[in-house]
Amino acid sequence: MLVLLRASITGVSAICLAFASVSPSAAEPASCPSPIPLGLTTALTGNTALLGTQARSGVEFAVDEINAGGGINGKKLALATEDTGASSTDSLNAMNRILEGKPLVIFGSMISPHVFAQTEVVTKSGTPFLVGATNAKVTSQGSKWLFRTHVHDGQLADLIPEYLVKSLKKTKPGIIAVADDYGLGASRGIQASLAKLNATPVAVTSYAPSDKDMSAQLLEIKDKGADSLIVFGRPADVTLVVKQMSDLGIKLTTIGNSSLVAQTALNNLTAAEADGAYAIGGMIPQTSTDPKILDWAKRVQDKYKVPADNFAVSYYDTVYLLKSIIEKVGCDKAAIRDALATTKDWKGMLISYQADSLGDLAHTLGVYRNKGKTPELTGPIKESGF
Amino acid sequence: MGQLVVNGLALGSIYALVALGLLLIFNTVQIVNFAQGQLLMLGAFIGISCAVTHELPMAASWAITMVAMALVGVVFMTLVYFPLRGRPAFLVILTTIAMGIVLENLALIIWGPLPVSLPSPVSGPPLRFAGVVISMHQLFIFATLAVILVLQFLFLTRTRFGILMQATAQDLHTARLVGIPVNRTIAVAFALGTVLSGIAGLLVAPIFLAEPTMGGSLGLKGFVVSVIGGFGNLPGAVIGGLFLGLVETFGARYISSNFRDAYAFIVMITVLIAWPRGLFGEKSSEKV
Repeated sequence: MLVLLRASITGVSAICLAFASVSPSAAEPASCPSPIPLGLTTALTGNTALLGTQARSGVEFAVDEINAGGGINGKKLALATEDTGASSTDSLNAMNRILEGKPLVIFGSMISPHVFAQTEVVTKSGTPFLVGATNAKVTSQGSKWLFRTHVHDGQLADLIPEYLVKSLKKTKPGIIAVADDYGLGASRGIQASLAKLNATPVAVTSYAPSDKDMSAQLLEIKDKGADSLIVFGRPADVTLVVKQMSDLGIKLTTIGNSSLVAQTALNNLTAAEADGAYAIGGMIPQTSTDPKILDWAKRVQDKYKVPADNFAVSYYDTVYLLKSIIEKVGCDKAAIRDALATTKDWKGMLISYQADSLGDLAHTLGVYRNKGKTPELTGPIKESGF
Repeated sequence: MGQLVVNGLALGSIYALVALGLLLIFNTVQIVNFAQGQLLMLGAFIGISCAVTHELPMAASWAITMVAMALVGVVFMTLVYFPLRGRPAFLVILTTIAMGIVLENLALIIWGPLPVSLPSPVSGPPLRFAGVVISMHQLFIFATLAVILVLQFLFLTRTRFGILMQATAQDLHTARLVGIPVNRTIAVAFALGTVLSGIAGLLVAPIFLAEPTMGGSLGLKGFVVSVIGGFGNLPGAVIGGLFLGLVETFGARYISSNFRDAYAFIVMITVLIAWPRGLFGEKSSEKV
């Protein structure tokens, strides 16, 4: 009887295995259309165009490379790009146009308000949505389709004060941040982190994104006896902050986001103005010692006339991460989403990516210091828990 | 305190320069050109193309920029003002706003989104006085504003062409009837007004960097200071500009830097409530 039972179980198992081995959904990747449609919405005009073009550079450069190499499993990629301009309304309209093309995956902007405006409609469409938006709350919207492949403000808000207080031994910083979602969110986070470190900012200031004169804020920070300055802004306005500090003869240890080491900022600063500033942020290619990465950065600059920054690297990596996933699971959107959610130690150009429970994949940042006009990598720094 | 005054006056001087260009056109054709800020941006980029890209001497770069801006002014007039002449003023004003957007996007295509710096035409160590730092470029801005104000005043009141411009502004049809070359007069007004924007752009680029979107805010501030000073009044625009620069700088320092842009409009509304024609307003302000 027992022998008969064993034989039956073995027989049933064998039949199940045989069926499983021929089932396309379980063992073969879902087939891909030709070409594979991808979408990108980013700011190519308006006052955030300098940032938005970095996403375009990274995604487009990777897509062109992949297509030149024969595509993914022989299928070429077709990238549709829509300009979000500077407004959230326009970004939603851009996303609706992209969705009409039924893309397999959408690359979203690094401008957080744009991503907040787009998330609901993308989630309803059931399309994987890969963004670089830096507001910490972007991945807390409850969308299982949204993933972020760039470091976020929450990480910076913890690490900048920690480095300033523990490594640079400064406890009386002044804060100056751009008065938008990006800067003010970071400023609040930095203040909270400073409080945990028993450090109090002597002055908390901001400037409108269109402001060109930050001298009043800098003088307030100086007058209130700051021993250091935390800067959080975009490359163009951070350049002005540093220039105006120099013009006013204000000499403070300066630390901020990666705008302080962005090539677009350094191009407009003298060596004396740029020297000594610290930055923590997404990894930039210019400090790499790998000739392949330096050559990549040069080719991107030659093609787009804009130096590649941390965002360009992140978006470039994102496309190759997607390629590796499609090669494994094919072109099924749910399978791509599940693969993104279980990403572990996928090695990109400068960092490894690992998904957490919210959908954040980037957890390694760079600490940089300008030597003259040349940024130097002091070392990578990881988010707590990674 | 002294440093805030210097920086506020420098900022206000730039607003005043934008306003002077705006008023030169307004005083002739009674149209507010809301693309004045974008023309400033164009001047900055033309200067950068000459001085940085092609490494021309600074004097030559300034001269080329001014000639180029004069031509741009005439083209602007041909595309924006002439086709809509005689139509309601708001149509022309809307078209100037549209042209501003076109210019911004053209600049983005031609020069890209990168912020670029233009070297200052003057160099030398800053002056230091009782802890106050005044850069050579700030002094140059003050001097340029003073010279332009005097030259513009003399041009409009002491030269035949200036008087023709004022006559055209008073009544275009009558001016034509009495034999004034109206079209040529308007063309000169647009050319000179655009040149003034170009000069403002050349002055701004060394301290604020040039980028395609730089003009929007500066153009709007130029309009605000024109209203504060009394639309049409040249010294009023300069005083309005300097006043607004000081208000913004002191407001950002002692009240809150979050509302810096709001100060401009709060001041404008307050002035209009107290003095409906602006601080030094004339009757022409009713046409704004």
